[in-house]
Amino acid sequence: MTYEPRIGPDGRDDDLTRALRQIYAAPAEEGYWSTLAQRIMSRIAGAVEAESWWSPLADWARVGIVAAAAAVIVAGLALTKSREAEARLAYDTIIETPRTAPLQIATEHGSGSVRDATLRYVISP
Amino acid sequence: MLAALPLHTVVSEPQPPIEAQARAQERELVLAAQRGDREAFAGLVRLHERRAYAVARAITATHEDAEDAVQDGFLHAFRALDRFRPEQAFGAWLHRIVANAALDIGRRRKVRDSEALTESVSLPFRDPAEQDELRRRLSDGLALLSQRQRAVIVLHDVEGFTHGEIAGMLGIPEGTARSDLHHARASLRKQLSEFRSHP
Repeated sequence: MTYEPRIGPDGRDDDLTRALRQIYAAPAEEGYWSTLAQRIMSRIAGAVEAESWWSPLADWARVGIVAAAAAVIVAGLALTKSREAEARLAYDTIIETPRTAPLQIATEHGSGSVRDATLRYVISP
Repeated sequence: MLAALPLHTVVSEPQPPIEAQARAQERELVLAAQRGDREAFAGLVRLHERRAYAVARAITATHEDAEDAVQDGFLHAFRALDRFRPEQAFGAWLHRIVANAALDIGRRRKVRDSEALTESVSLPFRDPAEQDELRRRLSDGLALLSQRQRAVIVLHDVEGFTHGEIAGMLGIPEGTARSDLHHARASLRKQLSEFRSHP
């Protein structure tokens, strides 16, 4: 068999085109196409069903995400408040003398000066 | 001969009634499908599946990949149906979607192995008796082309799409489609001329 190219006016090669058509021939049976159409529609139905299942889940997931974000914000605020309270308490402890703390009364000894008495008061436990 | 005719003879030629009727029917199906009528979409599938398969088959390496691309394409089209404007040609819109699906499958499978490609291209799907030497040579030649060149020559020479339509489907400039067609033809002719020299 020999191949003699026959080129048409648009550059199309008849033999080449014919051979390509044989290679790329689509199925001719009517049954094939009706089956393919059914498969396509089944796939679409499956995808739609999957989306309808997912859709309420997605709604719940959205609600869950919002709730979780709100919980994080509340927890953050509570933590901040708690820290502020702790810090205030710590300051109070430092700068205020507890009312219940025993007062040490410095007694003036005969030989000590007022300065010595103050110093004793400061360094006393 | 065409140039000798008055211009209005060519331009104002009325649409054949059957074609106009088919377009009107298609438009009704599109509008019904957009309203959620699943059976109307099934009608569109039946109308367009063969052409969609041809587009996919031109791009993919195997019949099975083409089937997958057609199914993917119709599913994408169904999901995007509300964005389709009914004054457009549904076929052209669908073919772009199917071509994209086919290109995606090609990218995913990364069919680069020319040996595997030769085997798949030369697989006789319809008629096993047609495995002659010319076809074998042609299959070898097709395997040497790039995926895009192969798609362009099949879409143009086998399926009869215009350069503009092919460019739209494949997302390439029209000039690139022309150039790909030229190179694909030259390459396949070379392959076949070697066969002619060594019968």
